[in-house]
This record gives sequence, structure tokens and C-alpha cells, in this order.
Amino acid sequence: MADAVLYYEDVAEGDEAPELTHVLTRTDLVAYAGASGDYNPMHHDEVKATAAGQPSVFGHGMFSMGLLGTAITHWVGAGNVKRFTVRFARQTWPDEELRSRIVVTGKRTEGDAHLLDLDVRLHNAAGEEKVVGEATVQVPARG
Amino acid sequence: MADDILSTIIGTPTGTTVVTVERGQLALFATAVKDDDPVYRDPRAAEAAGLPGIPAPPTYPFVMGNFGAYPELQTEDAPSGNPMGAVLGPLMANGGLILHGEQEFTYHRPVFGGDVLEGTGLVVDAYQKESKGKTMTFVVVETAWSDRATGEPVCTSRMNIIHRV
Repeated sequence: MADAVLYYEDVAEGDEAPELTHVLTRTDLVAYAGASGDYNPMHHDEVKATAAGQPSVFGHGMFSMGLLGTAITHWVGAGNVKRFTVRFARQTWPDEELRSRIVVTGKRTEGDAHLLDLDVRLHNAAGEEKVVGEATVQVPARG
Repeated sequence: MADDILSTIIGTPTGTTVVTVERGQLALFATAVKDDDPVYRDPRAAEAAGLPGIPAPPTYPFVMGNFGAYPELQTEDAPSGNPMGAVLGPLMANGGLILHGEQEFTYHRPVFGGDVLEGTGLVVDAYQKESKGKTMTFVVVETAWSDRATGEPVCTSRMNIIHRV
């Protein structure tokens, strides 16, 4: 959760959000399948995944984007995201440690809204990028 | 031939779905994306955060058509069967693999528990690229979600699907 309110004045270009880390488990994939309604067997059925030539089950791309969304909203607060876009670069695998990296690339105002542009990424411990994208968030100003 | 398929795909509607956004589903989804923020579970925490209701996690709009799309809410525009099957069918006739290439959300306001939202989808683009001897077909589907009662835009979801053969 957002421990403290993030104010526009307190953020500078180049600032980074706290890193979120998570080791992916097969149970995570089953939980995401149920919560999302995506029952593609490649994400939960090891027998079918290996028969299809995959080394094991692999993560839903939208699980990775969701985890990155969690890292963003923990920093800026739920309900403050205005735009969130990603490219799915690589599959994720059970036992990989997934890490977020969120960097402020710009600050601007639009009318009364104080906006931050963010470079958002999810990578594994070896630095392989899984999801690469951008987000725009609205944060309060001290006024 | 390929161009014929592409021009057929662009402009294909993927139907209109009306969903009730349910609180239990939001908490379940937040847990699934490893979010322990109480705003997704306790209306008092949401209120303390300045929100008028329990919000949806940012990627929830991608899946909300899978839940709370009760029959009595639907319009005559409701998709029958899988509309993406109709779009991707001609491509899959030659085999191949479907991948989710890109995903974008634009939020006009947060989605809240209790919302009744109407989502209308359209194939807005389709194009092909050759890469390493493979043909990649990109199909872009945009779903515009609005508040059914007020017509106010809520969220636009843009999905880029890749067919590789």
C-alpha cells in the first residue's frame, strides 16, 4: 500500500519508485487464472505445456503487467493512474525473481492536473526484461 | 490474399458487453497481482485514500468482461460465441501461434466496485511484417468502457495481438 502521499513537488525527474520483487510460483499462476478467467492451459497445466514444447508452464503476460501495476500504485496510490502501456518482451517462468523498475521521466501539468511520466519495467534477477512500458500518473500538489 | 484478410479484419466489431463490477472480484484480483493495499478490501481505507468507492487494480479492465456480464444486462449487440475467434479464425486456418504483444489502458476515471459498465470493442488496425522467415500479423482491438447510466467514458483498453506463422 501507499504508506505516504506522494506529492508532485517532492518528485524529480530520474527518481525511482521502491522496487517490488516477487518470486513467481505455479500457485501464483493458478490464482491469476482464477481471478482473471484466463484458463489457457499453457499457464497452469505442466503436461500440456511441455507437450507443446515449452520447458514448463509460464506466466500470463497480464500477470506481469498486473504486478507492475501493483508496484506503480503502491508508490502513487490506487486510482491515480491515467495511462499504462506495455510491450510483452519475454515469457516469465516459475522460480524467477521478478523485479520492478519505475523511473520518473517527466513532470508536467495539464489544466489543474499534476502529472508524472514514468518508464516502467519488469525484469528478472539476471536483468532480462519481461515487460517494458510507460505510465502517466496524477499526483496531488502541496499547492 | 493476406491483404484481403487484413482489410476484412479492420473495422470488425467485437461486440458490446455490459458488466457489473463486483467487490469480491476486485479483492480476489488484487490478491492475484500481489497487491495487499486495504483500499481494495475495505471501503473505509478507500474513503481515507480519497476514493468514492473500492477501486479496481489498474489492469482489471482487461478481465472484467469475464465476470459480472449477467444475461439480463446485455444488449442485442452482445457477442455470441467468441468474437476474437471470428477475427483470428482466417489467420489460424494456416496454423500458427497467437501472442499478446502489447497492452495499453487509458483511464478517464478509476473503475469502482458497483459500477455497471458497457464495453464496446472494435478491431482498429491490422498489419503484417516479415521477420526471420515468419509472417507476423498484428491485430489491434480497442475496447471503450463507459458508465452505462451516464454514458461517461471510463477506460479504453487497447490490445495488440500477434499471430505468428
